[in-house]
Amino acid sequence: MEELIRITDLNKIYDSGAVQVHALKNINLTIERGEFVAIMGHSGSGKSTLMNILGCLDRPSSGTYLLDGIDISQQSNDALSDVRNQKIGFVFQAFNLIPRTSTLKNVELPMIYGRVPGKARVERAKMLLEKVGLGQRLEHMPNELSGGQKQRVAIARALANESPILLADEPTGNLDSTSTIEIMELFTQLNREGVTVIIVTHEDDVAAFTDRVLWFEDGQLVDDRKVEKQS
Amino acid sequence: MMLFLENIKLALSAIRSNKMRSILTMLGIIIGIGSVIAIVSIGDTMRSVIAKEYENVGINRVIFYTMAADGVYTNDDMFTQDDIDQVKDAFGDRVPYIDTYCQDRKTLSNGKRQQEQVYVYAVDAGYDQVQPMELLCGRMIDQGDVEAKRHSLVIEKKIAENYFGTVNALGRTMEIIDNDGREEFTVVGVYKEADSVLTAMSGGGMPTVYVPNSIYFTPDSYGWELNCYVDETADINLLRTQMTNYVARMTNRTTDEVICVTAREEMSSIDSVMGILSAAVGAIAAISLLVGGIGIMNIMLVSVTERTREIGIRKALGARTNHILTQFLIESAIISAVGGLIGTLLGIGIVALGGLLIGVAVVVNPMIIVIAVGFSAMVGIFFGIYPARKAAAADPIEALRYE
Repeated sequence: MEELIRITDLNKIYDSGAVQVHALKNINLTIERGEFVAIMGHSGSGKSTLMNILGCLDRPSSGTYLLDGIDISQQSNDALSDVRNQKIGFVFQAFNLIPRTSTLKNVELPMIYGRVPGKARVERAKMLLEKVGLGQRLEHMPNELSGGQKQRVAIARALANESPILLADEPTGNLDSTSTIEIMELFTQLNREGVTVIIVTHEDDVAAFTDRVLWFEDGQLVDDRKVEKQS
Repeated sequence: MMLFLENIKLALSAIRSNKMRSILTMLGIIIGIGSVIAIVSIGDTMRSVIAKEYENVGINRVIFYTMAADGVYTNDDMFTQDDIDQVKDAFGDRVPYIDTYCQDRKTLSNGKRQQEQVYVYAVDAGYDQVQPMELLCGRMIDQGDVEAKRHSLVIEKKIAENYFGTVNALGRTMEIIDNDGREEFTVVGVYKEADSVLTAMSGGGMPTVYVPNSIYFTPDSYGWELNCYVDETADINLLRTQMTNYVARMTNRTTDEVICVTAREEMSSIDSVMGILSAAVGAIAAISLLVGGIGIMNIMLVSVTERTREIGIRKALGARTNHILTQFLIESAIISAVGGLIGTLLGIGIVALGGLLIGVAVVVNPMIIVIAVGFSAMVGIFFGIYPARKAAAADPIEALRYE
C-alpha cells in the first residue's frame, strides 16, 4: 500500500510571548492509503494540534509533513486552501453545516470552491446524499435535521471532491448511541471502499471500529498499535 | 465567473433572509440617492419649463430701449414707424421682424352683450414667421392687411368657442372698444395659445388678439421700445453692438444709455443659475450617501463577526482568502446597489407625482439611473472593503472555535 501521509520530526510550539507551549514533540509517523486510524489522547495531549496540522489548517514549527507527496510546510496560504479542498474531507463534532442553506447546497460547497460546473455539481451532490441515505432531504435546512442526519450530510460534503482523506474530529461527540453506531458504520463502509479515514477521539467504543490506534500523551506519540477486532 | 454568480446568489439570499435588517441598512443609501435624483430631476424639469416659456415669448427676441441718465425723456427717446423702417433697411437681413411691441389692454365684444378684456397686439406682417403660432384655421395678419389697413382680427381658440360656439369663426365680426371708441373687425384667423406653465399657474391670463399694426400704430405714433426678432444664425454680439450704436445715434443718446436685452442671454443666465443651484443642493444630499456608506460598513462588520464560524468552515472546505473577500464585497456592493435602485425609483416617483399634481411634464435623465446605481455599488464596495478584509484574514482554527 502506498504512503499517503509521512510526518518527520514534527514539532509545534505555540509562542505567546511569556509562555511557550510545546504542543507536539518530535512526531514521526506514516499513514498509508486505505488505513482506518484513530488518534487518541487526553486533553492537552496534542491530538487536536496534530489534527489541525494534518488538515492543513496549521503549519508545523519544524519538521516535515508530506501529504500525498506535497510538502505542506512549503505551501502558500492559497495553495493550502487548494490542498484542503482537494485532499481533505473534514467532519466536525459540531457538524458545521452552513446555516440557512439547503442540504444540497451544503454538499455542493467544496465543489464550488473546486470550480466544478453547476450541473455536474448538483448531480454529484445528489448522488452523495443518496449514498448516505438522505436522498429525500435535499432541500431541508440544517436546523430541520437530527444530529445523525446532519453528520451524514457533513460526511457527504467531505466526499464531494473525492478527497483521499476523511479527517473527523470527535464525529460522534454530539450524537446519541444509536447515531454513533450509524456514523461509525458509515465510516467503516467508506473505508472499505478505499477512503483513508482518520478519526480523532477519546472514546474507546469509537476507536474499536478502527484498525489502528495512535496514542498521544504530552505532545508525544507514545503508542501505535493495531486494534484487535472482536468478531 | 461561476464563483461570481454564486456570490451574487449568496448575497441576494443573505439579504432576503434578514429583510428588516437589510432594509434598515439600505436606508441611508436609499435616502441619499433618492434625494439627489429628486433634486437633479426637479432642476432639469425646471430648466426645461423655463426654456419652453422662453420659446413661447420668443427665444430670438432682442429689445432696445433708452434709459435716460437724467431721467428726462423726450420724443427722441421714442420710436416711430419711420425709425423702424430705417432700422429695417440697415439690419433687415439679419433681423426679419421689428415692431414697437404695440400691445394694449382693450375690450373685445361681439357687438351685443358679451365682452371681455383682452390684449390687442398690433403686429406687422410676418410675425408668425418668427414666433411659432399654432393656427387652427385661417391665417395670421399679412402684408396685405398692413398695407390696406384692413380691420383683420386673429383671435384665440377660447374666444372663438365662447362667442361663436365653434373654432371656425372665420368671417365673423367683433368690436374692439377703447377710449377712442369702437372699431369693427373681421376674424381672419383663429390660433391656439401655447401651453405655458406660468399662465397655467396664475390661472390663465388675458387672451391676446392680433390686428395689423397700421391700425393702431400710425406714422404719428410713438413706441417705447424696439422689439426685434433676430435670425438664429446671426452673430448676436456683433449685431447687438452695431444696433446699439445705430439706436444711440437715432435717439441722440450715448451707447451707455441704450439698453439691449436679449431673451437668449436672460434664459441662459437663469439656466446656469438653476444648474448651479441644483448641483449645490445635490452635493449636500450626496453627503447622506456618505452616512449611508458608514451604515453599511457597520452592518457588514456585525455580519462578518456573526458569521465567523461560517467563514472558518468555508476556509476549511477550501475557500481561499480572495474567495471570502469577494463574497463579502459582493454582498455589500449588492446591498448598496439595491438601495440605490430603490432610492432612484423613489426619487423619480416623487418627482413624477409632484409633476402630475402641478401639471408639468417631468424631465428625467435615464443616464442618472445608471449613474446612481453604479455609484451606490461603488459606495458599497468602498465601505465594504474593511469588513471584507477582516473576514478574509480570519484564522480558520480560531474561527471554527467561535461560538
